[in-house]
Amino acid sequence: MIRNLMYRIPLLLITVSAAVTLSGCWNIKDINHRSLPVIMGLQHKNGVFQVWLLLPEASEGRSNVRVVSDAGKTIEGTIDRIGKNMETRVDLLHLKVIVFGQALAEKGLGDTVSGFMRARDIPAKTLAAICDGELEPLFDRLKSSTSNNGIEAYNYFEKNAGWTPQVAQTRIWQIYRSLHSYTRDVAIPIIKPGRTTTLESTGSAVIKNGRMVARITPDETLLYNLFNGQGAQGRIEVMDHAAVQILTDRMTHQSALKEGKAVLNSRLHLKVTVLETISSPTSDRIRQELNELLTTRFQRMFRELQREEADILGVGQFFRARMSREDLRDWRSDHYPHLLINFRVDSIIENVGLLNTMGP
Amino acid sequence: MDKSSQVIAMYLLVHIGLIFFTYPADVIASLSVGHWSAILLGFACHFTLLGIYTKGLSRFASQNLIDIFRGTGKAFAVVLLFPVMAYLFMTMVVTVRVYAEIITVVFIGNTPIWSVMLLVVAVCALISSFGVESLFRTGVLVAILFLPLLLAVFILSFQNADWRYLLPLIDERSASFSYVFRRPYLLSQFAFAGGFVFLGFIPSYIPYERRKVVRASFLLLPLFLISVYIPLLTFGEDTAARFQFPFIMAVDTVDVSWLMFDRVTVFFMISLICFVLLYLSLAMWKTVLLLRSGIPLIRPVQANASLAAVLYIVCALIPDWESVERLLGWNLFLLAYVTMVIPLVTFLLGLRRERMGAARP
Repeated sequence: MIRNLMYRIPLLLITVSAAVTLSGCWNIKDINHRSLPVIMGLQHKNGVFQVWLLLPEASEGRSNVRVVSDAGKTIEGTIDRIGKNMETRVDLLHLKVIVFGQALAEKGLGDTVSGFMRARDIPAKTLAAICDGELEPLFDRLKSSTSNNGIEAYNYFEKNAGWTPQVAQTRIWQIYRSLHSYTRDVAIPIIKPGRTTTLESTGSAVIKNGRMVARITPDETLLYNLFNGQGAQGRIEVMDHAAVQILTDRMTHQSALKEGKAVLNSRLHLKVTVLETISSPTSDRIRQELNELLTTRFQRMFRELQREEADILGVGQFFRARMSREDLRDWRSDHYPHLLINFRVDSIIENVGLLNTMGP
Repeated sequence: MDKSSQVIAMYLLVHIGLIFFTYPADVIASLSVGHWSAILLGFACHFTLLGIYTKGLSRFASQNLIDIFRGTGKAFAVVLLFPVMAYLFMTMVVTVRVYAEIITVVFIGNTPIWSVMLLVVAVCALISSFGVESLFRTGVLVAILFLPLLLAVFILSFQNADWRYLLPLIDERSASFSYVFRRPYLLSQFAFAGGFVFLGFIPSYIPYERRKVVRASFLLLPLFLISVYIPLLTFGEDTAARFQFPFIMAVDTVDVSWLMFDRVTVFFMISLICFVLLYLSLAMWKTVLLLRSGIPLIRPVQANASLAAVLYIVCALIPDWESVERLLGWNLFLLAYVTMVIPLVTFLLGLRRERMGAARP
């Protein structure tokens, strides 16, 4: 027993001392010696990456932000150089939004996004956005209009804050998934400094295999979100007669292969409430016009997407059971452009608000 | 006294610790469609071998594997048990190294790996030196502390699942089992095989009821399915195949805005690493038991300390990830031996004993 103790006590001492001195604190930098950027901007010009970082700075009583930037051959190298020139260490662990320059998006995000997934220093769930125009004015605006530690841009996209269904919401891992998927592309929101607000969304970029090939309007983005079941709370202006708000949305799909041609019957079930009317339309009229409006808008967007062979709606997913993997491999080029989609809208006006008449 | 609940807790923890790291990547690498066939096949083998093994053991009331094999002949015991020891040692080497690597990659990127390995080996040596009874009691405590947390993580991990990725359900390759003798599939067996050998070592210390443990093994099936299907449903096959640890990547995508912690992964990893420490301690205890039965002169303390020292030195000598994979490949032969031959021999010895008992009342 004594012998046993003689062995255990030194081992216990070693373990405890190792635990105290090593417990994850090797070369650790304390929180006050770290900078945790919230937003990163990336642009590629003349073979050089430009990197912007928005760093919140908590000083006593008020909050401030600062923007640092540098340029270099690689992104990681540039961030490292920014860190070298700063008095604190740059730690991307809590990065919330990455804003890509349009030129970079058109050239291709593939390598950049793969790098982020590999290095793991940027969380896979970081939101992505594309900047319309130059990045410099955007960061100037973010800096000058900040009142909340610089997380405006994050709140803009966050579902429990300022997000609206007219804005796409795409994360880094979703872009990475689309790089290697046969049947799925993504839409990334396009932003620019607003006229009176901090930010303004001018639609979404259609990203095919990591490259921006087209853009869709905010109204079409709402359809994109509806297609993915995320359109609740979205508002639609119906012709000249009314504005409605979506309460619930549900999609049902039926896929078929007819003589080798892919056919998809999609039906959008909407429950809406009337917000505003002009003159006194009947509810049947509003419903009918809403259905027509959404159908034509969808058809227009879908034709455009088919022309670019970009499947941001993930329509190919519905044919996974009907096609072999070999066929799916050529989904974008062989089947998708000839896909026949029968899109129908079934809307129900659940209520007309607190007034019981439609008129004034 | 029946301590089945402790044994069940340990059995589950050990397997959970092993499942979620390399297993999903191996299964996804061995098949492109119909992964359930690989999971179910592996589980069926595991279940059968577990049944055979415990059936054989149940014929020898409260005798452990060493006593049983010794009863047949000393040379017989040495020949049969030496590979078991080699297997346990190799597994410990690989596990320490792999998990130290994961700890540095995920948590503490600036810490040199030798210090992490030192800590892991020291903690395991300490736990195993306290004996198997306290090890199993620790297991129950760890299960109570961490299993609710894990359950929450499993539920959250369905957040980004796209069920259409389940399809197609089957193709020629998965229906014909042609993947079975390929390397990735064989490597995936590590998750099934590493754990249950300990059931043969404990009967003289911790009595348990065979039936309860065999029944509890069904709890593992959903976990095996989750570990492979969560990454598949989140990313799709083509993307999931590109990750080294697909399940961890899938948990990384979970976004819970009301949770004050940014990454759910951290909870998950800490629980799993805790389980793996228990697994390593258990393996170390088994190896010491074997060492002492082979060399009766050695004292438990010396055996434990020298094993820990040798283990640490071997771990520190492995230069890179590629050598780890090579070691895993070599270990496959020992793995096959330990999971197939040992249960079968135990079962046959049990049969013989029963027949002899019937002949000589």
